[in-house]
Amino acid sequence: MIRYLAYRVGLLIPLLLGAALLIFLAGHYAPGDPVQVLLGDHYNPEVAAHKRHELGLDRPLVVQFTAYVARAATLDFGISYVNPARRVGDVVRETLPISLRLAALAVAAAAVVGVGLGVWAAVLRRSIVDRLIQLGVIAGLSVPNFVVAAVLVLWFALRWRLFPVAGWGAPANYVLPVAVLAAAPIAYITRISRASVQQVLTEDYVRTARSKGLPGRAILARHVLRNAALPIVTTIGMAFGYAITGAFVVEVIFNIPGMARVAIDAILQRDYTVIQTAVLVYTALFTLINLAVDVSYAALNPRIRY
Amino acid sequence: MFVNRQVMALIVAAALCGALAGVGGPSPATGQGAGVFRTPLGGEPPTIDPYFATDFASGDLTFLMYTTLVGFDSSGRLVPEGARSWDVSPNGLVYTFHLRDNVMFHSGRKVTAADWKWSFERMGDPALKTSVADVVLAGVGGFDAQQKGAGGLAGITVIDPATLQFVLNPEARGGFLNRLAYYAAVVLDRDVVERGGQGWYEKRDAGSGPFMLREWVHNDHVTLTADPRYFLGAPNLARVELPIVTQAATRLAEYQAGQLDLVQVPLADFQRIQADPALGKQLIVFPRAQFIWLGPNPRVYEPFRDARVRRAFALAIDKAKIARTVFFGFYQPAASIVPPGIPGFYSGYKGLSYDPAQAKKLLAEAGMDGRLPPLVIAMNPIAQDYQMAAEAAAAMLKENLGVDVSLQRTEFANFQQGMNRRTVFQAFMTGWAADYLDYSDYLDLLLYSKSPLDRVSYASPAFDRFVDEANAAPTESARTTLYHKAEALAVEDAAMVPIVFTQFALLKKPYVRGLQTTPALSGWLRFNTVSVER
Repeated sequence: MIRYLAYRVGLLIPLLLGAALLIFLAGHYAPGDPVQVLLGDHYNPEVAAHKRHELGLDRPLVVQFTAYVARAATLDFGISYVNPARRVGDVVRETLPISLRLAALAVAAAAVVGVGLGVWAAVLRRSIVDRLIQLGVIAGLSVPNFVVAAVLVLWFALRWRLFPVAGWGAPANYVLPVAVLAAAPIAYITRISRASVQQVLTEDYVRTARSKGLPGRAILARHVLRNAALPIVTTIGMAFGYAITGAFVVEVIFNIPGMARVAIDAILQRDYTVIQTAVLVYTALFTLINLAVDVSYAALNPRIRY
Repeated sequence: MFVNRQVMALIVAAALCGALAGVGGPSPATGQGAGVFRTPLGGEPPTIDPYFATDFASGDLTFLMYTTLVGFDSSGRLVPEGARSWDVSPNGLVYTFHLRDNVMFHSGRKVTAADWKWSFERMGDPALKTSVADVVLAGVGGFDAQQKGAGGLAGITVIDPATLQFVLNPEARGGFLNRLAYYAAVVLDRDVVERGGQGWYEKRDAGSGPFMLREWVHNDHVTLTADPRYFLGAPNLARVELPIVTQAATRLAEYQAGQLDLVQVPLADFQRIQADPALGKQLIVFPRAQFIWLGPNPRVYEPFRDARVRRAFALAIDKAKIARTVFFGFYQPAASIVPPGIPGFYSGYKGLSYDPAQAKKLLAEAGMDGRLPPLVIAMNPIAQDYQMAAEAAAAMLKENLGVDVSLQRTEFANFQQGMNRRTVFQAFMTGWAADYLDYSDYLDLLLYSKSPLDRVSYASPAFDRFVDEANAAPTESARTTLYHKAEALAVEDAAMVPIVFTQFALLKKPYVRGLQTTPALSGWLRFNTVSVER
């Protein structure tokens, strides 16, 4: 197990290097540069050259890249090109926790609601409840999150004034963005839970448990859910990935000062160091989420060993 | 060892989830209450060092926290700020400013003439290469020498702690006072700047304006508190809260939900808001010192090298119709380049009025009728107005000249680079808003052949001569006459095609009183006269 973990974490290094290189090249070969954006309508070739030199943007790309990687290896991600008084490490420290909290809340909400609905639908197969849930699932999967966001803001923030339109900090600020981010994962998790539970319900050992006289709840908790959990856990892991990428839309719509919004601003301003660091962080994050999902399999199914 | 493995797997999974879920403290929410005024910043300010504050967010913050020698009032007239009054020598080249004796830095220290001199020398420091030196100091004697390494600005003299003298360069004296009223021409608290090192502006400001920096939570908000010692009287507000909201639609929705007190209205929402019985009453509309223009680039699109072709394009665009139908009468057709809010506005000038027949004739004369190669117009993506103007202009050019016009949408960084390189776009649609209310902020920058911002590569010796003479003109009226000649020449040469003059549309809550507006900046003057009466 430890060897396996070490191997998987070790794989991160080439992965991160590759991602850093790709994004570095993409950034530098895309038209536009941070200095032009920064100077805007005060552009002056002399000032621009001075600024480029100050930021080291006039050095050969190889030198810039190796310098960045060498520093990043010591977790020093350099300075933001747009505001050189800001260290990129500080940007990540301030914004990443916000994005993670948002994603974690969305996944937690999706897991609770999704598994609940899925099991309910499976148990009441072909009932009106099941059909309504199925309808909801289709809606959840097919309506894009920016539409969900617009509708929720219109009703809950503008019409009924129950929650703020945007912003971050107070608990009331969490409700709408979390709901938007959780909508599609709820649908996914419901669908998978329903299918998985339904399948397990037809197994012989469930029939045996029932014939032993075990109450329905105990059967569900002890036999059904445990055996149906594997695909559900995978889906929840995927939901985390969805919530983190979904944040790129949701943080902008709800004006949340998280890492995704900052990354988008950085891309538009060509703030290379921030973009590169954001990509590194997201790559690491996705790898670790996948790892967590894989590791949880072993916990849930004794037949899986690493 | 199966159990161990299972337990360990669970621990690892739980630890990873916990690490993801448990982190992140809440950021302070924006508060509400009497004396608190809330208006958004459109983006994270890249700096709040006034001499590098060239975007709207850092410009707004600079304006609220700092003091200039002179300023503009609501009607665009020059008014005293840090200076109580000033004398001008008979030859118009020596300005002596008498400073107010009650201007205090936020640290409590009194502002003296030495502070002004130190600040302006820092602004011109060639090692810093500030973004605003060229604008403010161009006419100050000794600026060129400072750029070449002479320490200090010889043209600025401290007569005594309350008297500051500027000696101007006769060649570039034009608009000196207007340039001093530029929001970035401010005095800085030397102690704060020098002790703070790089990023000195992150935690505190070096200003002497009505408000001071309380906190800057990056990407989230900036909070300013009132300085009761402000020299024009303590502000009525206790605090100004400026949440950073990047999306115009979100800003508007936050206003509607009562989270903001003052916002700009996106053009797309203007008609809806105007028609809304409640919001319509909260709408304030007034002219903005901005124009939208089409830039023909002769370096990339060869036919534009012939002035007749450029003129044909200008004549083929019905500006009045664009103003009326595309901008629903909210904007005014632009016959000239410099907008009405600027002192000396060329009123009554007709420019090139819409005349498709004449346009056709000019094309034929140039031997280009029916032979124009396809044209691509790049659009500045920063404001929707530019795209709306471009779409309408393209349709008119197609119809009236038969030229195959297509539009290029690009993102801002790309657009900016393309314009600056001058060898990328065949033509572009963009806008220009005043930094300070003066003719030079338009003609000297956008069309003078040596300006780095002459993105249409206009190089007319006659135009340059008019501008040079305007800058050396001994009186304002002589200067204005010369600028009008330059402007008319550029319009008739169709070096650029002005399309419309724009307006500001702001939404202001009824409980906000005393807001003063301006055609420049973000449309408002420092909030020291604003009060919130809920």
